[in-house]
Amino acid sequence: MGASFHSALQSLRATRGWKSIFRHNSAVTNRARSLAVRGNLLLHWLPVKVKDRSLRVRTTYYLGSMSLMLFVILVVSGVLLMFYYHPTTPQAYNDMKDLRFVVTNGVLMRNLHRVAAQLMVLLVFCHMFHVFYRGGYKPPHEFNWVVGIVLLLLTLALSYTGYLLPWDQLAFWAITVGTNIISSVPLIGNKVRFVVLGGHVVGESTVLRFYVLHVIILPLLAFLFIALHIWRVQKDGGLTVASKDDEG
Amino acid sequence: MPVEEMDKLSYKLRLALAVSTIACALVLLISLFNDFRAEWKHYKDSFVKYAQIRPDTKKLLSDYSPSVDQVWLPEMNVTDRCTTCHQGITKPSLADASVPQPFCAHPPMYHNARDWGCTICHRGQGLATEVAEAHGTTQSWESPILPARFLQASCGSCHQDDLKEAPQLTRGRELLSSLNCQACHEINNPAASELGPDLSSVGYKVSRAWIYKWLSEPRTVVDQQGNVTLNGYETWGQMRMPGFRLTEQEVRALSAFLSLQKAKPLEMSKIDPSVVARFSKNGDLLARGEARFRQMMCTTCHYLAVGRADESKMTGGNTAAPELTKVGSKVREEWLVAWLRNPQGYLPDSTMPRYDWSDEQLFEVSQYMLNRLADSHLLENVPPLGEATEEEAKAGRRLFREKGCANCHTLTATSAQRDFGPDLTAEGVKTASELDFGNARIDHNLVAFIQSKMQNPALVNQASRMPLYDLNQADVDAVTTALLSQTGPAPSAAMQHLVVPRRESSFEPVGPFARIYQRYKCYACHLFNRYGATIGPDLSYEGSRAPEKWIAGFLKNPRPIRSASNLRMPQFNMPVKDAEIAADFLATAMQKPGVDPESVDSRQFTSALASTGKQLYEVKNQCQSCHTIGGMGGNVGPNLDSSGTWLTPAWIEAWLRNPQDLQPGTIEPRRNLSDEEIRALTAYLITFRHEANLRTAGIHADGVATLQGGGQ
Repeated sequence: MGASFHSALQSLRATRGWKSIFRHNSAVTNRARSLAVRGNLLLHWLPVKVKDRSLRVRTTYYLGSMSLMLFVILVVSGVLLMFYYHPTTPQAYNDMKDLRFVVTNGVLMRNLHRVAAQLMVLLVFCHMFHVFYRGGYKPPHEFNWVVGIVLLLLTLALSYTGYLLPWDQLAFWAITVGTNIISSVPLIGNKVRFVVLGGHVVGESTVLRFYVLHVIILPLLAFLFIALHIWRVQKDGGLTVASKDDEG
Repeated sequence: MPVEEMDKLSYKLRLALAVSTIACALVLLISLFNDFRAEWKHYKDSFVKYAQIRPDTKKLLSDYSPSVDQVWLPEMNVTDRCTTCHQGITKPSLADASVPQPFCAHPPMYHNARDWGCTICHRGQGLATEVAEAHGTTQSWESPILPARFLQASCGSCHQDDLKEAPQLTRGRELLSSLNCQACHEINNPAASELGPDLSSVGYKVSRAWIYKWLSEPRTVVDQQGNVTLNGYETWGQMRMPGFRLTEQEVRALSAFLSLQKAKPLEMSKIDPSVVARFSKNGDLLARGEARFRQMMCTTCHYLAVGRADESKMTGGNTAAPELTKVGSKVREEWLVAWLRNPQGYLPDSTMPRYDWSDEQLFEVSQYMLNRLADSHLLENVPPLGEATEEEAKAGRRLFREKGCANCHTLTATSAQRDFGPDLTAEGVKTASELDFGNARIDHNLVAFIQSKMQNPALVNQASRMPLYDLNQADVDAVTTALLSQTGPAPSAAMQHLVVPRRESSFEPVGPFARIYQRYKCYACHLFNRYGATIGPDLSYEGSRAPEKWIAGFLKNPRPIRSASNLRMPQFNMPVKDAEIAADFLATAMQKPGVDPESVDSRQFTSALASTGKQLYEVKNQCQSCHTIGGMGGNVGPNLDSSGTWLTPAWIEAWLRNPQDLQPGTIEPRRNLSDEEIRALTAYLITFRHEANLRTAGIHADGVATLQGGGQ
């Protein structure tokens, strides 16, 4: 099977379409290979050279990659949900009911989005702990550690803004409690809370604000920072592989 | 990993990939399968199957569509998918009870389901397409379907005026107002309610012992067979003052406090001593008093328990006035005299009319009441209370406020408290999670909460200040209905637009009649433009019905018009001038638009026409089966011996044309008579001008009316 796959790949690489997209022929030397990767928009943020060891499950448990995949799932399912969602009250809650009762596979889409979001928060934390205990924050990875912290905050912000959108009691009170915590900040607390809510109580303008944050601003920022994060992984010399992995 | 080693993937990794791929595919398949066999699709299919076994299959399936059906009314925030399963709701042929649910048609109603949706009246979750979600209380929906026996509550959310189609709601609202719930609770759209009596001078009226008994023991009870267990207490067919859960100590304190309430000294409470002296030699004082008591028709308003063998029954009375069976052992003599002389002197708002009695008459009646309507054993069980001490009175004063007495009873020293009980304006839309069930072992839903609150407030909340109301189940249901209709402010402007406000009904006559109206309390028995009571006839159209001359004569000397009724207007001994002012006002101001007595020329009623009318009366329409003329006929309708003087021709014509238009709910049948027939019957009826023995009209048999020509 391996041989036939290999030959099929070879013949695919010989086609005109492939060549027009990837610009380079199948490289033979390591130098040509790395040039081919660098010269391609889709591949350039991947490391030119990957150590065999770093691909082992035990090295990273694929925590970062899985977080990335969950982000992709969230974007896809989120876009599908946007087709049914109005950021207005009380229509927002009625839209939940529509997804529940009349939209084909609506329950699947909603639950996929919800479960993936919760899983993503969990995995991002695991990823962070793993990197921390592996010493991944040490030079030369210190900047990427900070980018990772920003990504953690963005993940939490995405999760929090999404929590209000179903406009049920759970959502309303979670945001009410959460934003009341903001108001305990001295001097500016109440002003910040007013800006976040778009008013003095959680209401329609809060839903709109959180919606815009949830579907445009925060995902866009997350996308940029994810790209930066992955790009820096290869710029900083690939994954942090502990010496004991080297030995193993 | 070089490309050459692609096929060296470990067995474990391959297995993990295969399992996760299958899991993903499975999740997708399950989701698709769930969509495919959704609950509502099952009902869609079974409706088709059901329609096929019926003769009118084609008609039933004419607008069938296999998809979700909904009533969408955005301005009312209605998206009701109920019709997805309830597919026969607008199909008249599915109306009978044998049709299985959910396919039954809706019973005839006033609002079309397509224009109003379902949940506006029935509640429940309109958006849902699953049985449990649509009807019940679930994790994400707390407004379950309204049980059918309280459905009239939904009428009341918009129709703040009373609807004849919703008797249970009307009864509930009546109870809310007659039990004076709004004294303690905030209530939407409350009807005017009667407060308890002013107690600021109650110390002059009754003794401390009587107050003690009133507060501590059960009231007069009337059971379902109408048997009365008398306890010497006022009762109004149903209790108005509820039972407060008072301890012996509290009753002592309250009775002490109240017996000291003597704000306004009694006026004119003495009978002329010469009159008393004269009667001391007269042995039949009490017999004369009883005759006068009967003659004044006191029992038109007041209940009286009459004992027969070993049971006693309530007679007479209506809800406005207290029971008098043992009043002689209740009130003080001076108070009774002062009261009978001028009720408004003691209670300015009392609806009891003032009778211009001479001292002789007053003495007769009061002595009769004090001696015959009495029970010397009444206060036997009351322990010796002695004089009220200052401490007791102080405690009583505090209790008077704490227990909420001040909310119904006026007292110079205290005023009503606002927000004493919980606000009920949105009680009807409260969810189970908003209610405090305490440790009560009842169903956790709104209906069960309201009903147990009504039946035993302490069950739900030990510390509740709410008193006990002795209501039967039908009345509890009625009050529940009225409370469920308290749905708070309308949720949207469009819904607000649908609210039908209560028509304000008050009647304030102007001119000289205003004095007479208040002086004789006409509204205590009669309706004036929907305001007043329904003991006597509605006088809103009296000017169209009766000629002025007849009204004046009647007021001077009232007599029963319906022989079947044991009520009649009391003899007010009205001065001629007062009677004329009243007659003038009634005849000119209280007319039905379009029924003007002046508009009918009575010269058109010839004797030939009258004989045709006689035929119509006796043969074609059989009027005598209900009405009496000259001693012949039935007792259901009024006696027509004097229809020529009592009724105007314009009224008779209008009445024969459409009786229900003049008096909604009358049992007089509407016969669709031709104009010619109406004129003939009118001509016949106005010939009866019999004014024989007025006091016994309806019983006499001598006054055979003769046909008079011309009708004049």
